[in-house]
Amino acid sequence: MKNTFAVEIQGLTKSFKDFKALNTIDLNIKHGEKVVICGPSGSGKSTLIRCINGLEDFDEGKISISGNPQNPTKESFVSDFHIGMVFQQFNLFPHLSVIENLKLGPMKSLGLSEKDAETRARKLLERVKIPEQALKKPNQLSGGQQQRVAIARALCMEPKLMLFDEPTSALDPEMISEVLEVIVDLAREGMTMVVVTHEMGFAKKVADRIIFMDGGSIVEQNSPGMFFKKPQTARCKKFLKQILHH
Amino acid sequence: MFRILILFFVFFTLGSCSSPEGTWGWYVIDPSTKAGWTNIKFLVGGFYSTILLSIIAAFLSIFIGLVVALPAMSDNKLLKLFNRVYVEFIRSIPLLPMLFWVFYGLPVILKSMGIDANIDAFWGAIITLAISDSAFTAEIYRAGIQSISKGQTEAAKTIGLNYYQTMRYVIMPQALRRILPPLANQFIYIVKMSAFASVIGMQELTRRANEIVVTEYRPLEIYTLLIFEYLILVLLISFGVRYLEKKLGSNESANS
Repeated sequence: MKNTFAVEIQGLTKSFKDFKALNTIDLNIKHGEKVVICGPSGSGKSTLIRCINGLEDFDEGKISISGNPQNPTKESFVSDFHIGMVFQQFNLFPHLSVIENLKLGPMKSLGLSEKDAETRARKLLERVKIPEQALKKPNQLSGGQQQRVAIARALCMEPKLMLFDEPTSALDPEMISEVLEVIVDLAREGMTMVVVTHEMGFAKKVADRIIFMDGGSIVEQNSPGMFFKKPQTARCKKFLKQILHH
Repeated sequence: MFRILILFFVFFTLGSCSSPEGTWGWYVIDPSTKAGWTNIKFLVGGFYSTILLSIIAAFLSIFIGLVVALPAMSDNKLLKLFNRVYVEFIRSIPLLPMLFWVFYGLPVILKSMGIDANIDAFWGAIITLAISDSAFTAEIYRAGIQSISKGQTEAAKTIGLNYYQTMRYVIMPQALRRILPPLANQFIYIVKMSAFASVIGMQELTRRANEIVVTEYRPLEIYTLLIFEYLILVLLISFGVRYLEKKLGSNESANS
């Protein structure tokens, strides 16, 4: 196969004014691979995945998506290799019903007919286990349900790669598992994904590789087994100690 | 509100009864006399121009305002500059000088460009009101659109919507509910400022009042009526907007 990597990142660097958010990042992600990124806040995790789908522009380096080099400006977008994204704050469209949230992308962007979009949306609502909420407005749902709608909305575009930016950080504790369950299912089906999260139990279960970032650099990366058993660096040890104590 | 109206009314009517010197002379607009009725018809006839003028100017202003506001949200520095220059420049010109400039000056410029356009009082007033107001509507749009969280635009981008689609299906429907109340304010402003059109001879409410004042010499009664004419117009708009707000849900607090 010509394109062995879904995402290829070389020397990625980005600054916000004086603050260096990303410092020469090198990262290759294989098709079907599940990568979990963790690290303290401000370490550049979100910025990294936002560069992958063009929500953030970057200063230096190269990003290729399935072999196609990306433009460092924000305009860049891949069409045949769609990248879905799930945000910490859900970012559902509050003026539209759940089903309309799902149908919008397929109809306006992919040009599907209303009927086809509806069928696809209904199927995905089944998959995230909330078919009965189709006609409600997002603010009538619980946080966990809203996040599942957001996942379904991203899947409606039939992405080849899914990015999750702290998908459970804004949720009440009792709703975290219902969202993680959906993501685990998705992982089992073979979706390539990059997940920024502090849920280490989830990381152990799903990840092929865990990446620890700090100060805009990748400090350490390893398989989940090795990562938790034998952290290599002091910074990583300290971080793990802090979050695993909870 | 209603009580204050009644108070005013009582004050004025009592005023007419109780002053032997005849400070008040409501006979000029007494509908039971022929002359009074003619005067009333003439004065109230000004509603037509005032309303037509205001509505056309408001629609133009809403349109121009949007065209001016959108570049403010772009990443392009030149487009942003265009927005700033337009808003700051137009906002700083008082309405009356701009009216004179459009009515007396613009035709000269057009003529020098080979366009033989005669700008009459009606269109002169509309152009002036629309442009002068558009700087304010542009700022209202900008505030409304910028109040929608950035996450909405980002979410729209991740499901492949382009700029136009994002505005049309995601941002504007949400922004509109927030924009409507201040936009209504601007409409009221236009209605009131349309009085300036009297200066260039537009036969609207104020001009007609002035003309009767000159012939009858009863400024107090006629200008009092004039004030109430504007009051009625503005109250009607307010009620209309309330209704629209309810329909759009602008009166609910935002929840996103």
